[in-house]
Amino acid sequence: MIYFDNAATTKYKPEEVYDAVNFYLREVGVSPGRGSYSVGIEASRMLYKTRCTVGKYFGMSRPDKVVFTKNSTEAMNLFFNGFLKQGDHVIISCYEHNAVLRPIQHLKDLGIIDYSVIQRVDLTLPAEEIFEKYARSNTRLLAMTLASNLTGRIVFREDLYRLFKEKGIVTFLDSSQGAGKMALSMKDQAIDFLAFTGHKDLLALPGVGGLCCESKEHFESLIQGGTGIHGENYTNPDVFPEGYEAGTLNMPAIWSLHAGVEYVLFHREELQNQEHVLMRYLMEQLDELDNVILYDRDVDRVSTYSINIKDMASDKLVALLDKNGICVRGGIHCAILAHEAIGTVSTGTVRISLGHRNTKEEIDELIKVLREVGD
Amino acid sequence: MFIVFYSTSNVFRAEEILNEAAIDCKVVPTPVTDKAYCGVCIQTDNDEAKGLMDDMEFEVIE
Repeated sequence: MIYFDNAATTKYKPEEVYDAVNFYLREVGVSPGRGSYSVGIEASRMLYKTRCTVGKYFGMSRPDKVVFTKNSTEAMNLFFNGFLKQGDHVIISCYEHNAVLRPIQHLKDLGIIDYSVIQRVDLTLPAEEIFEKYARSNTRLLAMTLASNLTGRIVFREDLYRLFKEKGIVTFLDSSQGAGKMALSMKDQAIDFLAFTGHKDLLALPGVGGLCCESKEHFESLIQGGTGIHGENYTNPDVFPEGYEAGTLNMPAIWSLHAGVEYVLFHREELQNQEHVLMRYLMEQLDELDNVILYDRDVDRVSTYSINIKDMASDKLVALLDKNGICVRGGIHCAILAHEAIGTVSTGTVRISLGHRNTKEEIDELIKVLREVGD
Repeated sequence: MFIVFYSTSNVFRAEEILNEAAIDCKVVPTPVTDKAYCGVCIQTDNDEAKGLMDDMEFEVIE
């Protein structure tokens, strides 16, 4: 099987990640913050270590200021619902995943906020011009994706974040795509809040994500329940981070994240080089095919690419590739705004997302099938 | 003495700080029934520990 759906989930993890899960399940196996016996204390220590590993990875001033959730979608729902208030205005980009769009749209439907979408043609404007065009007197938040899950285009711009922050607007980054592929520093790149997910290029198990809080801006919790502390209160205590983490945490996945992030940190250059070489090779090969439509070809990107075959529905191509043992994702990719932006709402696209474990030979297999479609 | 915190996360931050400062300490169950604090705390005999707690909210129980 050839796996080109790494933007959804990285199927293959480093051995260190499998070992970490095995260790946690067999040698620890209890939940943090729930018991003050030795192994419970060790679980809490491992939780703290993972917070700090993640926080250091994202360049935070205080690396323990990380809230764990089950994925980035939950982290974004936590932040948007807990932070935004009646009358606030939000700016997002046209490349946002539904994980950003839907909670924002829902708050708009409830009559709480309004939002504007930076159009594709405007994304390369000078930061000052974007601010002039989209910011309002009640704009409270700029929320953008690090990279498009549809085309791989890198959307985050440090200069834009810096300017908005200077203007007193809180900045938020959805790092679901690309967190493991680029070095970020929340402290130095004017990122107040950042959502991440473990199961993609941070190489962890599904079931862990989180919200990194560089800013001290307060926000409300999303869910109420047991926090392991202050059990005498009728509602969650206003204590960071436990007050935001009601319910038992997915500690095996969290400990796998610790291993995944350490692996990425230690091997980042090697992983980046490998994916860069593969991506360039894929693009060169696709360029030679007359029947292929390429989207966002000439942009800075992570190792994700969207294509279509002329006169062929994307779902048909996905099925054909699957028959040939190649996994890619077709359709709308939970990114309706991005499809509107590149004009593919009616057709969908076929997304090829590479990982460092892929090979040129696997790309050759893909190209062979695509070439045969055109013959 | 026991250094007690509102947040469990801060207990382990304190432990990290004290380890880095080579101050002997141990994470132990909080030995009081005061519900304001989390279930574990830092035990140490070194008075310097209190001055290293940075911006964390804590109380000392002798």
